[in-house]
Amino acid sequence: MAEADEPETAETTDERETTMSRAMVSAIASEMRDSDDVFVMGEDVADYGGIFDSTDGLLDEFGREKIMDVPISETGFIGAAVGAAQAGMRPIAELMFADFFGVGMDQIYNQMAKNTYMSGSTVNVPMVLMTAVGGTYNDAAQHSQTLYGTFAHLPGMKVVVPSTAADAKGLMHTAIRDDDPVVYMFHKRLMGIGWMPAPDGPKTSVPEDDYTIDFGEADVKREGDDVTVVTLGLHVHRALEAAADLTGEIDVEVIDLRTLVPLDTETVLESVRKTGRLVVIDEDYHSFGLSGEIIARATEGALADLSAVRRVTMPDAPIPYARPLEQAVNPGREDIIEAVQAVTE
Amino acid sequence: MISDTELQEMYGWMVTARYYEERLQEEYLEGKQPAFDISAGPIPGELHLAAGQEAAAAGVCSHLDDADTVTAPHRPHHVAIAKGVDLERMTAEIFGRRTGLCKGKGGHMHLFDSAVNFAGSGIIAEGCPPAVGAALAAKKRGEDSVAVAYLGEGAISQGGFLESLNLASVQNLPVLFVIEDNDWAISMPKERVTDIRNGSQRADGFDMPGKRVDYDDACAVYEAAGEAIGRARDGNGPTLLEVQVHRRMGHFMGDAEGYRPEGDSERAKRRDSIERMETTLQKAGIDDDTIGDIRDRSHQRVDDAIEWAKDQPEPEPDEAYDDVFTNPPAGWTPNTKPEQAESTGGDD
Amino acid sequence: MSDEIVAVESETVWPADSDDVEEAIVSSWFVREGTAVTEGDPIAEIQIEKVSLDVPAPATGEIHELLVDEQGEFERGDTLARISTDQ
Ligand SMILES: Cc1ncc(C[n+]2csc(CCOP(=O)(O)OP(=O)(O)O)c2C)c(N)n1
Ligand SMILES: [Mg+2]
Repeated sequence: MAEADEPETAETTDERETTMSRAMVSAIASEMRDSDDVFVMGEDVADYGGIFDSTDGLLDEFGREKIMDVPISETGFIGAAVGAAQAGMRPIAELMFADFFGVGMDQIYNQMAKNTYMSGSTVNVPMVLMTAVGGTYNDAAQHSQTLYGTFAHLPGMKVVVPSTAADAKGLMHTAIRDDDPVVYMFHKRLMGIGWMPAPDGPKTSVPEDDYTIDFGEADVKREGDDVTVVTLGLHVHRALEAAADLTGEIDVEVIDLRTLVPLDTETVLESVRKTGRLVVIDEDYHSFGLSGEIIARATEGALADLSAVRRVTMPDAPIPYARPLEQAVNPGREDIIEAVQAVTE
Repeated sequence: MISDTELQEMYGWMVTARYYEERLQEEYLEGKQPAFDISAGPIPGELHLAAGQEAAAAGVCSHLDDADTVTAPHRPHHVAIAKGVDLERMTAEIFGRRTGLCKGKGGHMHLFDSAVNFAGSGIIAEGCPPAVGAALAAKKRGEDSVAVAYLGEGAISQGGFLESLNLASVQNLPVLFVIEDNDWAISMPKERVTDIRNGSQRADGFDMPGKRVDYDDACAVYEAAGEAIGRARDGNGPTLLEVQVHRRMGHFMGDAEGYRPEGDSERAKRRDSIERMETTLQKAGIDDDTIGDIRDRSHQRVDDAIEWAKDQPEPEPDEAYDDVFTNPPAGWTPNTKPEQAESTGGDD
Repeated sequence: MSDEIVAVESETVWPADSDDVEEAIVSSWFVREGTAVTEGDPIAEIQIEKVSLDVPAPATGEIHELLVDEQGEFERGDTLARISTDQ
């Protein structure tokens, strides 16, 4: 892992901390300096710098030819990214909110994701589709979904979900260099935007130099012997808070999946074999999705070791607007604590 | 000719809408200063205000009654007010209250008032196809009601809009598409994203009448919309209308508008459709007392609605799980968090 | 070799078009006490009303003290941090 060799302690440190959005931007900028094939297309990515700061400052350095504001035509510009990628370029297309995938979905799942296979690998699609996900700020049903499971379910695209600045940078480098389409899903609440304060955790020190993080490597954020908590995105930080609260009572291991396709099943199994208890925390809908998948893999691979499973997810309902309603549906620290306690009873 | 009653009614909607947005801005910023935290305060989430766009709402809705359908995009308040949406319950919805139009589930971008056939969507151009559907239903049932789909000039490059134009045209449906051209789609000026200056030219490709009103004069909008809606009611098909309006505020509250050239907002503020309307009223011989009275009553109505809304109860957390289906299948559960799951068929 | 303390003043970064505003918040610190900084490096992001801007280090040295919490409010003119420089 990238942070492994970071100098801890010592009185003076060179490690400055940075936000997730700045880490993403630094990776994109660095790849753009190295290759003329990399460019960005999206709504409000130029002067605005991305509604969630994902392209902040890039216009100044690279200009409008490379940082392209495009019409509100998701089918058009995501499809154009597919075509440019097939022509050998490395476009980064931004879908402003993952919730808007509906108006451009054919280009995503029938073209971007399938052209490699359907062409018998005579074509490849080295593009990044980056998109903002998640709720917690009362933006209601059309602007708050994560849809992790939807994207990960459809074959042919790699899916990554960073939860810290250090991961955001390394995963972005890997995503841009990857020869396959990568869906890069960043949680709005983690970006470190002034108007949407992040929890403690996503802002980390980040090495200055470029580095990649291999896809398919989950990160054990906290080791523990009693219960395995598997999660991703915003809920990595909520799970760590819950685990800290349970210190002395229950020893919780927290696994950040980081990438869904490919999925690091082995790290999950290893942990479950040790703890025997699995709790999956997911900000996506309950049924037919990520939480069910993780539990299925755990039962397929470590059934004999499992004594209890539980999942805490969004319900199978659209996401409501009003504050008490959204708080009710989005898994919070207390919900995680209760689930962890329940599997140890 | 526009009657004095209609003029006064349009003016009333316009000043109601303007004052409404100004008051909502105040309420929205409550709890968001000095730190602008989007999830804080009595109105959380995004808020897109329509100050400067009132003429496009008033001039069109003057021709509509409750049976006619209107769909509005993410910037809906002025249109909702002119369509006759219940102001108190709409405000309660924006404050996330249980007695709101949508029980606190929708919020300001997703207002639904079936009593006056008003519906919203936050997805760009996606209100257009349902408006076509409302017109289709009216036609099939032999009713003379029409449907109006509102959209911004940024939405005219979206498939949902273009497909709707074609469908409405080929089926000869009673639809009016109204483009509110406020020059901006968030930070993107329209010349960056389309090569046509006049959005109503999109109609040409669908063999549909298209018209642009170049200035936000509610009366000019009234004339153009009257013709289009008359045509639609008579069974002569759809029309595309574009109205130049002005964005007096940021795209959403919290938008620092760093991308907007100096002077552009000032220019937008100088073109004031409400002042223009006042001049029109005066020219029509309506005295200043009457005008002042309409304004005062409109402001009072807004203040009352906001006061009422803020007094309303918040929804109970468990209400989040209601309303997924009109007719929930037997045994179905929304799979709530463990402590709320009472029935079987859920977790574990 | 003597340590000198340089203050990071909010006044220096206050933009002219925010002249009518008196309060702001620190939305992010990018350094902790003890972090080495080079003059010009962004050390924090602040938010004045709706405008975000970076605060550059006024000197090369080490962060001696952070005087405003993250998400904390401060007033125009307040000192945000101190940097110790070895001369
Ligand atoms: C399909 C889709 N893409 C992007 C967005 C994000 N978005 C919300 S408003 C907006 C700009 C709309 O501009 P315009 O249609 O001109 O309306 P205005 O905001 O100016 O009223 C964008 C891009 C969205 N809501 N839906
Ligand atoms: Mg617009």
